[in-house]
Amino acid sequence: MSQNGRRFGPTRRDFLLRSAMGATAFAMAPGLLARPGMAQSSDLANVHKTAAEAAKKLAEGRSVKLTIMQPSGSLGNVKPVADRFMAETGVTIEYLEVPLGEITQKILLEAVSKSGSFDLALPATFGIPDLAESGILVNLDQYALKYEPKDFQDDALYTIGDYYKGSLYGYQTDGDTYVMFYNQDWLNNDVEGKGFADKHGWALKVPDTWEELDAMMAWFHRPDKGMYGGALFRTQYFIAWEWWGRFHAKGFYPLDDDLNPQINNDAGVQALEELIQASQHLYPGAKTNGLFENFEAFGQGDKFANIGWGGTQKFLNSDKSKLKGKMAFGPMPGGMVGDKLLRTPYFNWGWNYVVSSVSSEPEIAYLYSLYACSPAMSTIAVRDPGGYFDPYRGAHYEDGEIEATYSRPFLEVHKESMRNSIPDLYLKGQGEYFDELRVNLAAADAGSKTAKQALDDTARSWERITRRMGKRSQAVQWNFLKSSYPANIRSRLK
Amino acid sequence: MTEGALDSKTNARTPRSGGLLRIPFNIALVVPAQLTVMVVVVVPTLIVLWLAITDWQPTQAVPWYHAEPIWFWNFYDLWYDSRFVNAVLRTLFVVAACIAIELVLALGLALLFIEDWAWKKLAVSVVILPMMIIPVDAANAFFMLFNERGPINHLISLAIGQPYEFSWLSHPTWAMLPIMLAEIWQWTPLMFLLVLTGLTSLPQNQIRAAVVLGASPVRIFFRIMLPLLAPVIAIAVLIRSIETFKIFDPVYILTRGQPGGATETISMFMYNSAFVYFRFGYTAAAALIVLVVVISICIALSKPLKRHG
Repeated sequence: MSQNGRRFGPTRRDFLLRSAMGATAFAMAPGLLARPGMAQSSDLANVHKTAAEAAKKLAEGRSVKLTIMQPSGSLGNVKPVADRFMAETGVTIEYLEVPLGEITQKILLEAVSKSGSFDLALPATFGIPDLAESGILVNLDQYALKYEPKDFQDDALYTIGDYYKGSLYGYQTDGDTYVMFYNQDWLNNDVEGKGFADKHGWALKVPDTWEELDAMMAWFHRPDKGMYGGALFRTQYFIAWEWWGRFHAKGFYPLDDDLNPQINNDAGVQALEELIQASQHLYPGAKTNGLFENFEAFGQGDKFANIGWGGTQKFLNSDKSKLKGKMAFGPMPGGMVGDKLLRTPYFNWGWNYVVSSVSSEPEIAYLYSLYACSPAMSTIAVRDPGGYFDPYRGAHYEDGEIEATYSRPFLEVHKESMRNSIPDLYLKGQGEYFDELRVNLAAADAGSKTAKQALDDTARSWERITRRMGKRSQAVQWNFLKSSYPANIRSRLK
Repeated sequence: MTEGALDSKTNARTPRSGGLLRIPFNIALVVPAQLTVMVVVVVPTLIVLWLAITDWQPTQAVPWYHAEPIWFWNFYDLWYDSRFVNAVLRTLFVVAACIAIELVLALGLALLFIEDWAWKKLAVSVVILPMMIIPVDAANAFFMLFNERGPINHLISLAIGQPYEFSWLSHPTWAMLPIMLAEIWQWTPLMFLLVLTGLTSLPQNQIRAAVVLGASPVRIFFRIMLPLLAPVIAIAVLIRSIETFKIFDPVYILTRGQPGGATETISMFMYNSAFVYFRFGYTAAAALIVLVVVISICIALSKPLKRHG
């Protein structure tokens, strides 16, 4: 099929182009080649001071105001740092709060209206490709070259989402990797342990694979006794993230090198069938409850397993939860690929500081984002127990206040997951790709489609989306993204 | 020379001197209205027609008027987009089912209100109360009613004597029911008002004659009242069909088109397409197709009116 005179079949020209793109992607991969900032000598520990000094110098003699567009509920993370920046630089900072799920759309509207209503924004990390393509984000490479200390990004545990087609567009400010939560009392119960071992031939433990998790959830699921196997999400918005983890754990990328979907291969279908089977062992609210209802439901203590982020732990480790201090944690389960366990922790949300291209003060806005994401300031931001930001820098895991909020056992699992997380599908049109996936997975989970039909339909939609977005342009970013997967996982995915 | 005076040599009206004054007075009077219509209707329509043949999105970082034409690819994609096709078919089903039920209910209610009786005015006020409620609030009430632990499941639990926790809003077959009930509950009063107005203005001579001749009430209703009421019913059905085709609030509040697109109506589809994914070109093409469908329905429904006229 062709459109606008473009051919999509493999030709010699395409082969050469792909080879060039692969080489480009390799060169663009963060950490593989010198990034602009590596020439800088600024000290990481003092980056907040140098950033503030530079901002103060730029704003000298002028009345400078920055407006930050942020998701509602994140003020507790943002304001303590912004207050310090204002005190140190004389720059005024104002806040523009928008609903959690609408921030990417609001920023995209700015690409059309160019009203200059904000200078900095905090979109979800997966929205950056669309925002970068819209032209509303400043390419930060020039500023990073000027101000970023050489180990600034190396110190952060997950930076894949900061880059698009090899350029820096934002700084990660929230460590949203998926982590598993287990009811420790149930896990350590001798009677349950013996019964389970007798049936399965292996002991109850923090599961390594999805198969093990599914078996444990099935074992503990006794609704007649008020016990449920799990509280994993089954609403349309969240369902795709679990499948993404299950699918990757079977050893496949979602797309091949030619951007053809692999999601509907045998592994994808099997992953979905297993997810649907696991749905039988979840509490009744799993199909309807959203994020905060999920926290509360698992906090009642009558479910064995849950999946979530640092925010989940903030609730579960509070006095509102009956499970406080009674949980075991684990990385997202993996799968056996060949004879070896493949774990694919998954970074699926997160917020990034980005700078608006319509801002009248892009350099000061960049300096603010550098300041806010510095080890010292980001530690202050992450400390807020009611906010969204979760640990993402080495310093956060050593902070006493942060440890009190999250607990040491959780932080250990979280840190390890952050280090090895696979990215979301950071392509232009990410929302569309994932929406198609979500709708079809939810249809399969609800029984309206078979697993194969659902994934075939998704694959067909993905092909259309790719064609519309421009296959060559998408291929550049896809090859870059593949090269950004953690090396130990990249080597085992097909 | 005065405005519009006759030239003494040619016996023809002389043109006014310059600009708007050259336009005849009667035309000049309607020009502002015509220009307003042009701006409000024609210009956006032309923009929609243009966008429908482009794949413009804000993410392309080009102004919409510089978008690259892709001609009919949007229409081609829509034809093979099962979500769009299903959304159109689902919406047509919702329109047919809701309007049929609303009409039957409205007719039944209106018949109760033909005769005068005590508290009739108060009762009319109570019956039309739902349509005074903000649609989002009405939808929210139905969301609460059909929640797993809401009153509906509670009543069923009481009736069957055991806990009942059915997920109405996440079941692919049943999720549409609360949405349709919300729509019917809120908008039957409008249909009722229209039908009641028609019933009270029916000519009484034929009805009295039929009563004198001994026709049964049922026969009078079906053979005399209903045919006379047909134009009013056609208008009521037309208005409600157009409105129901745009059903959005209950879908957005109750299910957002979930699960798996099982409750996605055309408005919900277009909302997601335009305002979540900013596919303005694709949405414009979808809007044009929907426009054709709605116009076809309107023509079909207005045929009885023409016959009557």
